[in-house]
Amino acid sequence: MRKKAIWLFAAALSATALVVGPTASAEPSRASAGTVVIGHDQEPATLNNLITPGNAYTTSLVTNLVLASGQRYNSRAVLVPQLFAGKPRITRNRPLTIRFSIKANARWSDGRQVTGNDWRATYRAIMDRRWDITSREGWEDIRSVAVRGKTVTIVFRRPYAAWEALISGNIYPAHKLAGANVNQLYQSGLDVSSGPYRFVSWQKGTQLVLQKNARFRAGSAARLDRLVFRYIPNTASLFQSLRSNEIQVTEPQPQLQIVEIRRNNAFRVQSGPGYFFEHLDFQFGPQGHAALKRRYVRQALAMGINRSDVRNALYVQPGLVASARQLPVLQSLIWKPFEANYRAFFARWGFNQRNVISLLRRNGCTGGPATPNRNNNDIWSCPGVGRLSFRFNTTAGNQLRALTFEIAQAQLKSVGIELQPRFAANALTQILPSRDWDISMFTWLGGPTSSITAFALYGCGGDQNYMTYCNRSVSNALQKAQFTPNNVQRRNLLHQAERIMANDVPSIPMYVRPGFLIGRRTVTGLSINPTQQGSTWNAELWRTSQ
Amino acid sequence: MLTYIIRRLLYSVVVLLVASFLIFTFVTVSGDPLSFLKMSPGVSQETIANITERKHLDDPIIVRYGYWLRDAVTDQFGTTIIGERKIMPDIQRVMGHTLQLIIAAELLAITLAISIGVYSALRQYSVFDYLATTFSFLGLATPVFWLALMLQVLFVNVYLWWDIRIFYTANLSGVDPGGGIDFVLDRAQHLALPVIVLSIANIATYSRYMRGAMLEVINSDYVRTARAKGLKERRVIMRHAFRNALIPLTTVVALNFGALIGGVVVTETVFALDGMGFYFINALNSGDPYPVMAWLMIVSTGVIVFNLLADITYGILDPRVRHD
Repeated sequence: MRKKAIWLFAAALSATALVVGPTASAEPSRASAGTVVIGHDQEPATLNNLITPGNAYTTSLVTNLVLASGQRYNSRAVLVPQLFAGKPRITRNRPLTIRFSIKANARWSDGRQVTGNDWRATYRAIMDRRWDITSREGWEDIRSVAVRGKTVTIVFRRPYAAWEALISGNIYPAHKLAGANVNQLYQSGLDVSSGPYRFVSWQKGTQLVLQKNARFRAGSAARLDRLVFRYIPNTASLFQSLRSNEIQVTEPQPQLQIVEIRRNNAFRVQSGPGYFFEHLDFQFGPQGHAALKRRYVRQALAMGINRSDVRNALYVQPGLVASARQLPVLQSLIWKPFEANYRAFFARWGFNQRNVISLLRRNGCTGGPATPNRNNNDIWSCPGVGRLSFRFNTTAGNQLRALTFEIAQAQLKSVGIELQPRFAANALTQILPSRDWDISMFTWLGGPTSSITAFALYGCGGDQNYMTYCNRSVSNALQKAQFTPNNVQRRNLLHQAERIMANDVPSIPMYVRPGFLIGRRTVTGLSINPTQQGSTWNAELWRTSQ
Repeated sequence: MLTYIIRRLLYSVVVLLVASFLIFTFVTVSGDPLSFLKMSPGVSQETIANITERKHLDDPIIVRYGYWLRDAVTDQFGTTIIGERKIMPDIQRVMGHTLQLIIAAELLAITLAISIGVYSALRQYSVFDYLATTFSFLGLATPVFWLALMLQVLFVNVYLWWDIRIFYTANLSGVDPGGGIDFVLDRAQHLALPVIVLSIANIATYSRYMRGAMLEVINSDYVRTARAKGLKERRVIMRHAFRNALIPLTTVVALNFGALIGGVVVTETVFALDGMGFYFINALNSGDPYPVMAWLMIVSTGVIVFNLLADITYGILDPRVRHD
């Protein structure tokens, strides 16, 4: 009996010791010197970014460091050569002919040269109908690809405005693509590298490890020995891991924990506008409110909402961004404030409640307040279009949108315009395409080439023009811009279109969602990047003093 | 007993077949797996058409079920819809991680719960008993996600204050876990917090069961008889009472273990543990129904198997119970 009791006790003790004992006595462990650990909330599905599951930001953070690009976006969203020897040149306008060369010292980690054949093999893989390629847009417009050693000449069937971004992406190795099933290529690792880092291991669900590519000569060699990506989807855990130095760098979504981290001297928080922008769209179709087809009503709405207040309430006052200057109010539907072509066309619609009232009164509207009044309950009625009371469609459960709505609703109410909330889970998936709404608030996800495809959003019959907005002058300019390879000519066309849109006000740009990059001060060289190139765009320059 | 087991196994096959059809039907009708792709601007229509054809997404549900069942049986659940990724290797990996977590948590919970339950019963209405009862209800009432976050905060602060890394707050292993004993230590440091979180609710449940069962047994006639025969109290408790009091707990543990096979979604998500629950959430987020279906089938199988095991164990521990 006693013996059994002792055994039972020993078993209990062992079980407890197995879990608790060793851990309590374990030595603290840190990432070794020369290693930086990046925490990210999403794990890649594959490392092949040619196919649909690889078309994700988290994938590009890794692949861009291993499979170098012809050119990459810098922190100002400008393409700069990486494997290309210089900027690609237009050698002929009709037909559009582009030529570029790959750097003489660009080579794969297995010793082979990176040549034009690799670029052509990538092109062919994209055009191969057997593979689940995300998009062949632009690629289908290529008529021929001629390769001579490291020089590639591309001839397009028709002008393609976004040619530079199209041809500047990741270059895949021809000798790996040959005979491969591209759908299943690089599902678990990358066996060759042309970038500053090479792939080492991927412990699915936990971490992915890159190591310095000692054979990389086409640019700055990596300063770090290793770069480790740790995947932590829970935001609270991500921040705890950052505080406890389990990770040193992260790019979180806007979260209140950022405010606390910002106060901590151990970290440096970078923030800035990105390409995702929130906006209010007006419905011009038959199911929308008749008043929204009147320009003066849309202009009144634009002047009646204080967009600075919205920006401040969402990001500045909570302390997410250090100052309002870091996140300017968006004044364009086509460009973002950090882009060279950005012009503040919508700045003319500054917040002015008295102007709203006088504009509506000038156009024969009646029943509204004489002066702006917070407690106002009088709503304007305008000739032929009825009361200015609009259904406001947006997603349910999004706190930022709910707060934006509350601010806009209160401000417009005080000038006699009513917003009725229509928050729904299917606001974007079903209600938005149905066009059965008056005002919709949502985010457009864009990138550096979005301006080129603005026709889809604002052109007559554009694929994503859910507003049914149609102004022939705007549409023609946007349509033409899509097929204008010359940057200056295209910029002029887009400015021309946006100048008209700023008067038409089919949509109100609200704010650009800020991006965040947080790093320990022991890690230097971090620089936030608003494009899909992501925070690791210059990871070869990162250093750590840990 | 053997006949009973065979009969139960045959029933289980039928149950699984019915479950597979229900799982397939409900998951399939819940949405279009390609809706995300279809809504993404620029995604090639050819790609969508290729996937639709390859995965027979245009066929009637019953036909698709046939294809899926074939893949499930002959090709270990086949591949994901988007990306053609083999499903089974991923499930095997996450299942291993979940087993590590729940075995450690169950061992800890059972050991402590039995000790607490037995002692509470023997010292009924003592200070210890009241404390154990209070903490049990507290353990049951504490939300798992809150407890998990509090433990993370606590041990992060321990690290920040004293520069001692006792436990890690996320993931299954360190950047350099090493091998041998270093690997075991590293794994233990990563698993400790989720194990504690998972154990606390189980300790609370199991200790209440154990206390109740023990109280029932020590007040039964045969225990009174044992005492009347002049047996030492220790022998009465350990030999006659304790063993019989374990029977209900065994059933509860076996059933609970079956349910835990599906992973502990909240715990694994908070601690970023690459386990079954974490896998399920990721599969749901990806919108790909095939990994979700594979997961549901495996969890269903686990529940059925552990139910069977619970019944068999019950019969072995309590000779009065006979399965005919």
